[in-house]
Amino acid sequence: MIVSRILLKNWRNFRHAEAELGRRMFLVGPNASGKSNFLDAFRFLRDVAKPGGGLQKAVEDRGGISKIRCLAARKEPQVEIEVHLSNAHDQKACWKYAISLKQDSRGHRRPYLDYEKVWKDGDLILNRPDRYDQKDDRRLTQTHLEQISANYAFREIAEFFESICYLHLVPQLLRHQNAFSGPAMRDDPFGRNFLEKLAQTTEGTRKSRLKKIEKALQLAVPQLKELSVTKDDAGKPHLAAIYEHWRLRGARQQEEEFSDGTLRLVGFLWSLLEGDSLLLMEEPELYLHTAIIRRLPGIIWRIQAKKKRQTLISTHSYDLLLDRGIGGEEVLLLIPDKEGTNIRTASSIDDVRVLIESGISVAEATLPRTAPRDIDQLSLFNE
Amino acid sequence: MSNVISITLAVEDRLSEIVLRTILLQSGRSYHVTSCIGLSGFGYLRKNIRRLNNAAEGMPILILTDLDRVECAPILQREWLDVPQCPNLLFRVAVREVESWVMAHRTAFAAFLGIRTDLIPTNPDGLDDPKKTLLGLVSKSRKRDLREALIPMPKSTAKVGPDYNDQVGEFVIKNWRVREAEQYSASLRKAFHAILSFHPFHEGVLCPR
Repeated sequence: MIVSRILLKNWRNFRHAEAELGRRMFLVGPNASGKSNFLDAFRFLRDVAKPGGGLQKAVEDRGGISKIRCLAARKEPQVEIEVHLSNAHDQKACWKYAISLKQDSRGHRRPYLDYEKVWKDGDLILNRPDRYDQKDDRRLTQTHLEQISANYAFREIAEFFESICYLHLVPQLLRHQNAFSGPAMRDDPFGRNFLEKLAQTTEGTRKSRLKKIEKALQLAVPQLKELSVTKDDAGKPHLAAIYEHWRLRGARQQEEEFSDGTLRLVGFLWSLLEGDSLLLMEEPELYLHTAIIRRLPGIIWRIQAKKKRQTLISTHSYDLLLDRGIGGEEVLLLIPDKEGTNIRTASSIDDVRVLIESGISVAEATLPRTAPRDIDQLSLFNE
Repeated sequence: MSNVISITLAVEDRLSEIVLRTILLQSGRSYHVTSCIGLSGFGYLRKNIRRLNNAAEGMPILILTDLDRVECAPILQREWLDVPQCPNLLFRVAVREVESWVMAHRTAFAAFLGIRTDLIPTNPDGLDDPKKTLLGLVSKSRKRDLREALIPMPKSTAKVGPDYNDQVGEFVIKNWRVREAEQYSASLRKAFHAILSFHPFHEGVLCPR
């Protein structure tokens, strides 16, 4: 199943935006245009649906409704997210889920549901507030999505949201875990506990994934061999490998000695191999060599093709988008405006479409549009 | 002393790079590719060809570009480089695209797609749009994975499928033979012979073979 469409209202940068999504989508836009916030809409649904999550927690983790709500929002203060789920991008939606949020106007400013709706094959099967909600408005502080006793009829989408995966691995966090002590973030989006996750995976699966990763790593770091997870005396897991050099046996290295690029590539490949649900990726190009970046679209496609999984990728990379196999319909352009950011599919913009159809790469056709408008004035920084 | 010929490649895309590296390897001569530059369409090559021609004074450079819509290779070469060509610069043109060269090893390409050899054009250099022809052949393949990897999705603006370069590249590396392919592509034959007979100059002196 994939998310084939998303509609956002007053969600962070997006006052009113909607986008059609295919199996693989690239998000491009200037800094602070809302790429991460766009991905966060999916993470929000996951946070609501997952065990130990729920609406209140998901909103609280984001600093409350007033932090989530678009700055450009005016008359209609509610925050709305609607997603359509289909079996393939060109098929009709089999599920739709829509949620609208408000907050108490006084007191704790607690978030509550303005509405929650679910459609199955076009039929509205959940429409809240219902008569029970009207009797007891505290019920509106929880979604049915998060309640096993209430989501029976649409458990499938609750599980889908729950399994949405996000990784934006920060190599320094992984390498210097001790220096970043303090409470871990839920779901570990930045990979601080990535090694624990590796260690917790069953041995067979872990070995098979590491083998695939090692093979892919040959492209980037051919000196690295025998990638494995080991445990030290204290039981703490480590990523280990043999780094071949002039000595016959090579040197045994652990994650502290791995380069940023190696660690990020390992994390990136692992998240691709892990699970078969929607995967959200932030700038997979970071720390990587141009030659590797250019091959990422193909690698992503090859791994996801087998699993039929969907990936949403934010990027600023010219090299990544140079791939001729990327169609304009796979690129979402985030265009900021005073009234919030607009989302356009690259191929729906006439000028971009003409360029791409004339053989100009998606990179050349789209990225110049996302450059800051007054970029020349950056020279003002000179003293 | 070794007779290794260090050479720099300048190409439009990854597939061209793979094809050139494969040809150099199969030439049986001791070519050593020091680096490959470009890889971002013909614009870069065209813009930099005079610089590359200058650089070739110091080191051998092999350029491969697609003829595309230009009438013939000599016209393209003259248009691009209007100064005398350095003897260390190998400037080759695939007619009309490197895909013609790929298809020119007809039996191997037919086996790769799992289709009959007689479906593969006998004169790939004469094709108006070799990439389109190649994709047309792929659509005849019964290998679904291959079709999905090489052919763009319906209604896509992409020119090729999502894993085109790597999959076709893998075919070239594993199964494509230049000596078979050159029989059906004149532009490949000329390029191959130029590679076979190339002698680098250093400081105006012809190097010993």
